[in-house]
Amino acid sequence: MNDARAIQLACEALELASAAGAQTAEASVSIARRFHAEARDNAISKLEASTGKGLFMRVFRGGRKATLSTSDFSPDGMNDAIRRAVAQADQVAVDEFAGLPDVVAGEAVDLALFDPRIADRDGAEKLDDAIKLERLIREADARVVNSSGSNYTDAIAVTAIANTSGFSAVYSWTRAGRSTGPVALDGGVKRIAHYGTAGRYLDDLEAAGSVATTAVRRAVDLFGARKPPTMRVPVIFERDVAATFLDDIFAAASAGNVAIDNSWLTERTGSRVGSELVTIVDDGRLVGKLGSSPFDGEGVPTQRTPVFERGTLRTFLYDTYYGRKLGAASTGNSTGGGIGPNNFYLEPGAMSLAELIAATPLGVLVLDTIGFATEHASGTYSRGARGFFIENGELAYPIDEFTVAGQYVDMLANIDSVANDLQFDATVVSPSFRVSELMVSGN
Amino acid sequence: MFDESLLSRLLDRALQHGGEYADVFCERRRTVSYRLQDGRVHDATYGVTLGVGIRVVVGESAGFASSDDLSSEAMMEAADSAALIARTAPSGKTAAAELRNENVPKLYDCDPVTAIDGARYAALLERADRTARRYDPRIVAVNAHVVDELQEVWIASSDGRFVRDCRPLVTLGIQAVATDKKERSSGYVGDGGRTSIAYFDRQTPEMLAEDAARIATVNLSAVPAPAGEMEMIVGAGGGGVLLHEAVGHGLESDFNRRGTSLYSGRVGERVASELVTIYDDGNLHEERGSLNVDDEGVPGQHKVLVESGVLRGYMQDTLNARLMGAQSTGSGRRQSFRFAPQPRMCNTYMPNGDSTVEEIVASTQRGIFAKSFAGGQVEIAKGDFVFMVGEGYLIENGKITAPLRNATIVGNGPDAMRKVVAVGNDSRLARGHYTCGKGGQNVPVGVGMPTVKISSITVGGTQT
Repeated sequence: MNDARAIQLACEALELASAAGAQTAEASVSIARRFHAEARDNAISKLEASTGKGLFMRVFRGGRKATLSTSDFSPDGMNDAIRRAVAQADQVAVDEFAGLPDVVAGEAVDLALFDPRIADRDGAEKLDDAIKLERLIREADARVVNSSGSNYTDAIAVTAIANTSGFSAVYSWTRAGRSTGPVALDGGVKRIAHYGTAGRYLDDLEAAGSVATTAVRRAVDLFGARKPPTMRVPVIFERDVAATFLDDIFAAASAGNVAIDNSWLTERTGSRVGSELVTIVDDGRLVGKLGSSPFDGEGVPTQRTPVFERGTLRTFLYDTYYGRKLGAASTGNSTGGGIGPNNFYLEPGAMSLAELIAATPLGVLVLDTIGFATEHASGTYSRGARGFFIENGELAYPIDEFTVAGQYVDMLANIDSVANDLQFDATVVSPSFRVSELMVSGN
Repeated sequence: MFDESLLSRLLDRALQHGGEYADVFCERRRTVSYRLQDGRVHDATYGVTLGVGIRVVVGESAGFASSDDLSSEAMMEAADSAALIARTAPSGKTAAAELRNENVPKLYDCDPVTAIDGARYAALLERADRTARRYDPRIVAVNAHVVDELQEVWIASSDGRFVRDCRPLVTLGIQAVATDKKERSSGYVGDGGRTSIAYFDRQTPEMLAEDAARIATVNLSAVPAPAGEMEMIVGAGGGGVLLHEAVGHGLESDFNRRGTSLYSGRVGERVASELVTIYDDGNLHEERGSLNVDDEGVPGQHKVLVESGVLRGYMQDTLNARLMGAQSTGSGRRQSFRFAPQPRMCNTYMPNGDSTVEEIVASTQRGIFAKSFAGGQVEIAKGDFVFMVGEGYLIENGKITAPLRNATIVGNGPDAMRKVVAVGNDSRLARGHYTCGKGGQNVPVGVGMPTVKISSITVGGTQT
């Protein structure tokens, strides 16, 4: 029912835009029902359930572009916002590359993005899901004395896109997740860990018991952690941390950043950047995965795009605008207003993480990082971290309050092992990997 | 647009199954923004956020629902969803008190019907672009944006409070990118506050663009940061990010009520060097983090968080204050009507100490001078934090020497605050462009600081 409603709203918006003076326009409408239950101490501490709508539009007039976002779908509200957006285009410079895409999605493809079990799930069952996880973390280890909450979330949504060239398409999707944040008491020090799972299907979620065990282990295994010595050593990035590293690689490979001179990958296409083991792919067509969709934010069909192949940078990731500007076709990475990842991942290797650790005589295993890249021009990586010091292929002792730092280019070049633990539990994911040498800064 | 009788009916409906407290938050926000790249205005955006969020509190539990559909049925349905929390936790019936219209302080002017003059925004961006490019031939790109936001809120609570506020917020951000044959670097400067676009007649785009270009070109000759423990001087103004991360988050009442913060139960204890005093203030004139009333309708306050090293109090929203037997400090904030409020910071800063900057630099043998931070993050249970240095220099034998490339600082909040050995007499608020993220919600905040010296901290560079 929402499918038809979303398309109808998008088409109404297009008519209003034409009436307001836009020559061409594109409208996307999403309608999502979201649910969040948080449990603490065997009781529900937070219960949130809402249906939200959003309209996002791009309007074009005389080679100028303006964008609009609104949650006001009243006839007057929509009309007023669209008129203002079209009027704002007057201040924008004429841009030969601005406009609707040349190619849009044709026949519908079914990527299995909708799980009816999530849509039909009983409310009481969802609350039990959160309460059970909260109970499990406390049962898992007596040292867990508190928690920042255990959560069950889901969303049931439709996304529709239409443009004035006659294109219109819609798809439905679901998403569910469970996560927890146990707090364990290590003498006078509180140690918190966060761990969770997410997927398009309820059956794709990691079992509550396993989520609880991993979260609790991440808190209690760090008991007695100290600063490591400052030194250059091999560093293993566990898969969740490896995924945050891939986030930065995505930002650098995004044509939007390349075009404004804000990427360290600028001018490196066709050249060897990473080691033989570095094959990084953006794939919007993986069946049932979180980053999959039949078409992107401007209706361009998604595809599989190898970004790095055996270390060589093959392409940046484009939407229509930056594709035209930099002389390439869109790779189906438009978010509507910018460039975003589909399923963006590093190809896994053959070894397990345990084998990788065993194959590391001296090094550091990073389990968690804090901090983020703020500047992609220079390509310097530096994060606060915690994890383990590795001696003779074994986890010798837990470490925290240190940083790992290096240049992204060197890090990609020095990836000398990739593990087999890739899981598609987010849109940007990675297996664990080892960098042969990095600066660890502690004492 | 949202009248008292409507809000009263929503409150009654929200409390249909019981509950100790309910509130309704209605919001209408318009956001106008322009973006420049490649020397020309590249994009213009108009945004509208309109809807209502309804919350019911039962003991430690909260039910929340929002609606962007303002039909009576849809809003009542949201009240029904929020009310469900009272079915999961037993609670007595409460009736909503009659609403009384409360006046709000006036820290900023706000005119919801101001006409939007697009040419004015475009001119600001073009002036920034010209200035940065003229500053140095090595500036190869300038990216700039200006955002003018106006948020109107109507807030009603079951204890009878009904307030309206109108909040302006302007921001101008400029990034300059510099390259020479070998290196590539960038400098970012942002400024703004709760005022109109006329703010940039005083804080001109030329001043800001020149600073962004200066940082970008200085960073071209930057040397890789050292690694290991050393002394650190934190610069006045932007250094306040340190207080925000290392101390501020740990003093938000939700973490303390739940006992997950390292500062839980420690009011009255010594938690920092006696040189350290920290305030959070929602009452500063036109500052980015200021609020006439918070998002629960409570007036903003000047809060003493730490006084001469002793922990004085937490930042409270109504839910946590009620459970802790305290009063709200006007710290309940939310990103939009789609979110339930959380206790948050407003403008967090440290007042003046006695030292001069010259004394502080001269007393430092080997360390780094972090003039500004590009961002930071904290883990509130143990207090470990990270900062990315935006503009930083090496200090050798009491003198500022080479600029440093992308240093990261890692430390522990209470540990760093114990190691504060000098506080400068040059306290000021940083330029207003900081945004704080917590639990998936972003809100504008202010930070401030005098020049401060910390005797030892870990610098995460690459050079031994």
